[in-house]
Amino acid sequence: MSESYLWQDGTLRSWLLTRDHKRIALLYLGSITAFFALGGVGAALIRLQLLEPTGTILSDATYNRMFTMHGVVMVWLFLVPSIPVTLGNFLVPLMLGARDLAFPRLNLLSWYLFVASGLLVLYGLFRGGLETGWTFYTPLSSDYSEGRVLPVVLGIFLNGFSSIATGVNFIVSIHQLRAPGMTWYRLPLMLWALYATSVIFVLATPVLGITLLLLAFERLFRVGVFDPTLGGDPLLFQQMFWFYSHPAVYIMILPGMGVVSEIVSTFCRKPVFGYRFVAWSSVSIAAIGFIVWGHHMFVAGESLYSAIVFSMFSFFVSVPSAIKVFNWLGTMHGGSIRLDAPMLYAMGFIGLFTVGGLTGLFLASLAADVHLTQTYFVVAHFHYIMVGGMVSAYFGGLHYWWPKITGRMYPEIWGRLAAALIFFGFNLTFFPQFILGFEGMPRRYATYPAQFQILNVLSSAGAGILAVAYVMPLVYFGWSLFRGARAPDNPWGATGLEWRTASPPPTENFAETPVVTTDAYDYGDLDARAGRADAGGPHHV
Amino acid sequence: MSDGSVLDHHSPYETPLHRDESAIAGMWLFLASEALLFGGLFLVCLVYSQTRAGGWAEGVRHTNLTIGAVNTLILITSSAVYTLAVEAGRRGDNRGVVRAGLGAAGLGLAFLVLKGVEWGQEFSENLFPGPHFALHGPASGAAALFYSFYFLATFLHGMHMVVGIGLILWICRKARQGAFSPAWSTPVDVVGLYWSFVDLIWMLLFPLLYLIGRA
Amino acid sequence: MARIAACWGMLVLLLAAELAATWAGLGIAVCVVAVLMVLVIVLGFMQILRGPPLAIIFALGGLFWLTILLALGSLDSFTRTTVPVPGGALDGPALPDRAAVPKESR
Ligand code: HEM
Ligand SMILES: [Cu+2]
Repeated sequence: MSESYLWQDGTLRSWLLTRDHKRIALLYLGSITAFFALGGVGAALIRLQLLEPTGTILSDATYNRMFTMHGVVMVWLFLVPSIPVTLGNFLVPLMLGARDLAFPRLNLLSWYLFVASGLLVLYGLFRGGLETGWTFYTPLSSDYSEGRVLPVVLGIFLNGFSSIATGVNFIVSIHQLRAPGMTWYRLPLMLWALYATSVIFVLATPVLGITLLLLAFERLFRVGVFDPTLGGDPLLFQQMFWFYSHPAVYIMILPGMGVVSEIVSTFCRKPVFGYRFVAWSSVSIAAIGFIVWGHHMFVAGESLYSAIVFSMFSFFVSVPSAIKVFNWLGTMHGGSIRLDAPMLYAMGFIGLFTVGGLTGLFLASLAADVHLTQTYFVVAHFHYIMVGGMVSAYFGGLHYWWPKITGRMYPEIWGRLAAALIFFGFNLTFFPQFILGFEGMPRRYATYPAQFQILNVLSSAGAGILAVAYVMPLVYFGWSLFRGARAPDNPWGATGLEWRTASPPPTENFAETPVVTTDAYDYGDLDARAGRADAGGPHHV
Repeated sequence: MSDGSVLDHHSPYETPLHRDESAIAGMWLFLASEALLFGGLFLVCLVYSQTRAGGWAEGVRHTNLTIGAVNTLILITSSAVYTLAVEAGRRGDNRGVVRAGLGAAGLGLAFLVLKGVEWGQEFSENLFPGPHFALHGPASGAAALFYSFYFLATFLHGMHMVVGIGLILWICRKARQGAFSPAWSTPVDVVGLYWSFVDLIWMLLFPLLYLIGRA
Repeated sequence: MARIAACWGMLVLLLAAELAATWAGLGIAVCVVAVLMVLVIVLGFMQILRGPPLAIIFALGGLFWLTILLALGSLDSFTRTTVPVPGGALDGPALPDRAAVPKESR
């Protein structure tokens, strides 16, 4: 039996050159937490500005740069990588019963690419920023913007290669490194979700890359690509951008769905209802998610024919999402549910994701979208999914696997409190925005008519609560690293191979390669093992 | 590290074969991703060459077909020569790998030099889009679009060539140290996949940039 | 060796055919030849069929997604009813350089 991966070699050098997927996960965890904080500061300033109809905290120009910074940082430097690169990196080999990912060096490279891209983006943001919004639409971004478009766009280009590397690694690992007996239908649902996510990483990200490269080219050399005054077609930019970015919104939800499947099963102590449906719905979300992107251009001059096709596909994609929700509810139905912090986050996810998904259907309807597009309704829609859904799932997952990652328990009371506060603060922040948008308040303006003030104040107050609630885990997780109770190998009584090794795991993950004999979420098997262990049988690791 | 026919202690794989197949598969997956990178360019080309057909074809007619065709021949040959290195690797013939590798890299370099000559001509003829763009007339806007596409596509392809040549030289260095054996020559194969892919992309760019719309 | 030489020969012949088709003005034929050349490279040089089955799956996946990109990505442009824009015609002449954004703020 060997030492935990955390302490085997404590030098900085050994961390920076590590090929251990678990350490790389922690390197990523540190980096994206910093970016989350930065994006959060941006959000706070935006909400402060909007406390008053003509806020004075930020000038109009600064306001535009602020929401751009917020969007760019949150999307590419936090939410797209979030669950895959932290929990995913940590868990994929453990859940497969493998010693590492398929390409450990590539994994480390992806982190360095990520850091380099982050620095490039930060350089652009701090040397003046840009006012294009996270969507970089041309010709604003190529012709008219007076901001630092190039470093940011090239940073995001580089960032894409980091995503692609992670995607390649996960896909090949899941194909090649399954432990003996680990058939596809025995994989934990988290892995199905990460597989689907990786498909998007690998096949959508390069299109963003080339799109941004074309944009950079146009801006740098003043040659026409998308510029209408030079004969180009600005809508083509939007087509290409959303070919990536709509699938990317599924990058920003599928991993969360995976986490929630794990948590719901564990805390209801039941196999996930309709395992195969949930598994395949991940794959079909990823696949159908690739053919709906045109719903972002309904009012931009897209052809009606095209709009109808994309509207129809958008309705299709909600079917597998709904399947998931019903199956989670089916799992919970009749179970004896334990309401530990991870489960609170998971339940928050289910509720908020449902609201976000249903409002997506409003937006996918051509007629309704004409009224709602470019208003706060859209802002509320995607925050319900990306923040209410994905960030909740990310926090839920962090709590759930924290004992495994660190070998320490977090304080449960505080965990529950933070989860409840996040749910409350989130709804207070974003529900008013649905109403605001419905009443016609446009997004991306530094000022608004006075009649919208009450709802805006409510929203800003919610943001304050949310900020406090997000800081809480940072504090008590830090505390638990030193003072938390020692975690047993399997604190939640969960199935899954990651729980069959020590907390924290040794560098090589398992003392000997595990053999899988049952389906995922087989609690009978878990009890049988526990029985054997009590009877003095050989103890795992 | 030098002997890849055995697994090192922390390798996630069960057998060397298992590892090598994963490497090949991983490269193919990466190439699928690369295909979509160029796919964005192909989309631009598809749309503009149809919706702005006149000016686009005008642009095609101004490219240098001779250099283009010679370069295509060079690249075909380079890819073939590198495949000889792959075969040599499988026999464990390290010297063969070096010889074929250097040949392929040299041909790649020749391609880049010719491409540079071609670019030089085009710059001096003011074919780079801008206020002094050489082509005039009603369709010159779309012709300029064509040249935007031309320069970016050849630049991106050229960058891939540079990376490919670097990888081939790395393989040659390993081979000189006697790294490859009949039991293990996977890196030679993997680099070969990349190099042939760069070739393949050119087989698509060549007709798009030089041929379709010419006559 | 013989296989490689044969593939090389085939590619050279196809290149010749491609050029001939260009002189004849047969755009479609050029496309067909280009696809054939790609096939020769994939099957002959990259030897996809000798690799693990995953290689084929990944390659086909990439091809499939490429098709989606090209088909749905061009759908809009090909079905749009264009409203003529005064001054900025689609096939119009290149306009002079616009007032350039100050260099340092790019
Ligand atoms: C599941 C995860 C989802 C996420 C993360 C997500 C995220 C987003 C984001 C970020 C935007 C705004 C983009 C922008 O303009 O800046 C957006 C807009 C939109 N979403 Fe979603 N979305 C999701 C699901 C859905 C679903 C299931 C549908 C429809 C069935 C949908 C339909 C739309 C539509 C139509 C818009 C465009 C609204 C407009 O600009 O008029 N979304 N979504
Ligand atoms: Cu969308």
